[in-house]
Amino acid sequence: MDNITDKMFNDAKDIIGKNNEKKLKGIWLEAAGCSGNIISFLNGENPGLMYALTSLIDLKYSNTLMANEGERAYEKFLSTLNGDFILIVDGAISTIEDGKYNIIANYKGKRITALEAALRAGEKAKFVMAAGTCASFGGVSAASPNPSGSKSISEVLKRSVINLPGCPCHPDWVIGVLAHIISYGMPHLDELNRPVMFYGSTIHDNCTRRGYFEKKIFAKKLGEKGCMFKLGCRGPVTKADCPRRKWNGYVNWPIGNNSPCIGCAQPNFPDKMEPFVRY
Amino acid sequence: MSKSIIIDPITRISGFLEITANLEKNEVADVETSGLLYRGFEKILEKKPPLDAVFLTERICGICSAAHSIASSMAIENALEIKVDINDMYLRDIIHGFEFIQNHLRQFYLFTVPSYVRLPHVSPLYQNDYTDYRIPEKIEKVISDNYIKGIEMSRLAHEGEAVLGGKAPHNHGVFPGGVTTTIDSYKISKVKSIIKSLSEFISNNMMEDMDIISDYYSDYFKKGKSYNNFLSFGVFNNYNEEDITYIKSSVIIEGKYNEFSKDKISEDIRYSYYEDGKVNLDKENSYTFIKAARYDGLPMEVGPLARLILSGEYIMRSSCMDRNRARVIETEKIINIMDKMINRVKIMENNQGIYNFEGSLIGFGLTDTTRGALYHSIEIENSIIKRYNIITPTVWNLSPKGSDGVYGTVEKSLMGTKINDMKNPVEIGRIVRSYDPCVSCATHVLNRDYRACT
Repeated sequence: MDNITDKMFNDAKDIIGKNNEKKLKGIWLEAAGCSGNIISFLNGENPGLMYALTSLIDLKYSNTLMANEGERAYEKFLSTLNGDFILIVDGAISTIEDGKYNIIANYKGKRITALEAALRAGEKAKFVMAAGTCASFGGVSAASPNPSGSKSISEVLKRSVINLPGCPCHPDWVIGVLAHIISYGMPHLDELNRPVMFYGSTIHDNCTRRGYFEKKIFAKKLGEKGCMFKLGCRGPVTKADCPRRKWNGYVNWPIGNNSPCIGCAQPNFPDKMEPFVRY
Repeated sequence: MSKSIIIDPITRISGFLEITANLEKNEVADVETSGLLYRGFEKILEKKPPLDAVFLTERICGICSAAHSIASSMAIENALEIKVDINDMYLRDIIHGFEFIQNHLRQFYLFTVPSYVRLPHVSPLYQNDYTDYRIPEKIEKVISDNYIKGIEMSRLAHEGEAVLGGKAPHNHGVFPGGVTTTIDSYKISKVKSIIKSLSEFISNNMMEDMDIISDYYSDYFKKGKSYNNFLSFGVFNNYNEEDITYIKSSVIIEGKYNEFSKDKISEDIRYSYYEDGKVNLDKENSYTFIKAARYDGLPMEVGPLARLILSGEYIMRSSCMDRNRARVIETEKIINIMDKMINRVKIMENNQGIYNFEGSLIGFGLTDTTRGALYHSIEIENSIIKRYNIITPTVWNLSPKGSDGVYGTVEKSLMGTKINDMKNPVEIGRIVRSYDPCVSCATHVLNRDYRACT
């Protein structure tokens, strides 16, 4: 059997030699959040992480993945700013006290806030992708009373951003958009800058329990068969392709596990989606 | 001559961490660990509907979110005096088990291995800064292969979690009263099959890779010693059968077993950015958003090594490499428990109830999780959350100094560390990562009653 490392090494060399111009440099900037979107990205499968790193994106900076640490890590961030690159933001941007509630690096004795890093990279990036609801709309980080003054990346940058909301963001959504950008440029976006290919219809439109709704069979508690609309399901207002795509090897999804959609991909999640469960 | 080293970011952890070390004659003579992200989660939870705490607290952390759903469900069950059926307990523990396996595989391969093994030239996994790589190239390639398999295996562990919990991270399965899952034969066999694949990789590859790293870096058994204070709230501990039991709540202080009492837990903010219930970044000598958790006034080590020592399965010795080894040994132990547990799961109707919150209620949810002891407490009034307090494992390990000036646990581990190459102070990152810190988790607000958490 081939040694995987050798094979990957050769694959990587091929890419660098043949079509490096197609691979986009990238910065994955974690900010105010739970770092759940990078973890979800690691859950990608066919294509998974190694395919993404060797064929789709020349990822220069990622707090979770990169081997370097300290100033040398931050220098990778800085050197990527000269040239075409995509900025992927994971988390909201904390703005209170000039962003000092979220420090991402200390460079030559100066602390770098996520706000400063987002502004520097966001200004120069060819594309900006918001991975997850916090980066797209503020999300849980900006939940009332928003103690960290968290904002979405588009509010901070005042430029067009590709929003990929979801808590977390499905790895296919990130991979799909990266692949689209490389081959065809910007994907078609809706009025909230979400790619229509993933966010074109509501959960309710494609729900596996839609039949129950039509027949007016409603669940009275979690764990029951029936439409969970009366338990507070946010499927009717939430746009994402969870019912068809499903999660983690495509094995299951929240409604498939007898619990209501909590609207995690919607603007104003969580405040305006609560209560998540009511009887 | 004294010299100061700042490392920020400490990459390959969850969240944002800065280490400032002052050195005398190349040895760490003073140190500060700074957790540098604040979201004020406990403030966000105030006035929310109590059941929403399960879904909200999960979102504290992307790598250990099931743990928060379990601790918050336990706190609500405690408040409402709900008893969880044993079948639900098994399913919940298996969900938690998959999170353990996912976390430990990622922590070992993605976070720890790159500090000891050169990976292939794929950005950002490769680096050439460290001068202290010791493993011969041929063996490095084997471990690199396992790094790639480790990515697939940790993904598979999350798939197992999703079979029973809807999705991962941020599952929709753990809920007060047990789980929302409807269990069937297909799911049971799917879970068994995933456990088998994981078990083979852990026993055949991960254990061996850990042995190789231990051999080539054996000096790290002498670096990174903490206090002899270890704490666990217990996990996989609801059963009488030994083969599915891991550890009950227990504590060792200065090398001796003590009886555990949650009333001895406190938090100190002398060196944290908090004053009068608010954030104050200019507070004198403050250096972190993390509070100093103390048990009986003492800093404690929590996590896999603490658990194995407390359960009598590891020699009472702490170091950077002992901590790494304990995590790998524990991975095998937990997959074996899961393997035994899934065979006990019965096919039953889902038994979720309807939960209402009347009057004033208070509840606690204490459990050990991937990184150590996790504490949730909830106070409910008029059907909304009045107060919520969370003490995460990293608040124990990465605590700053207390009012008494005694260093936090990671700080203590760094004190006295000899730095061989001042341009490449690799020792610091290696020791810090052996704790698997999660700063995303350690983002807190000061509660009014911060002294006693009871």
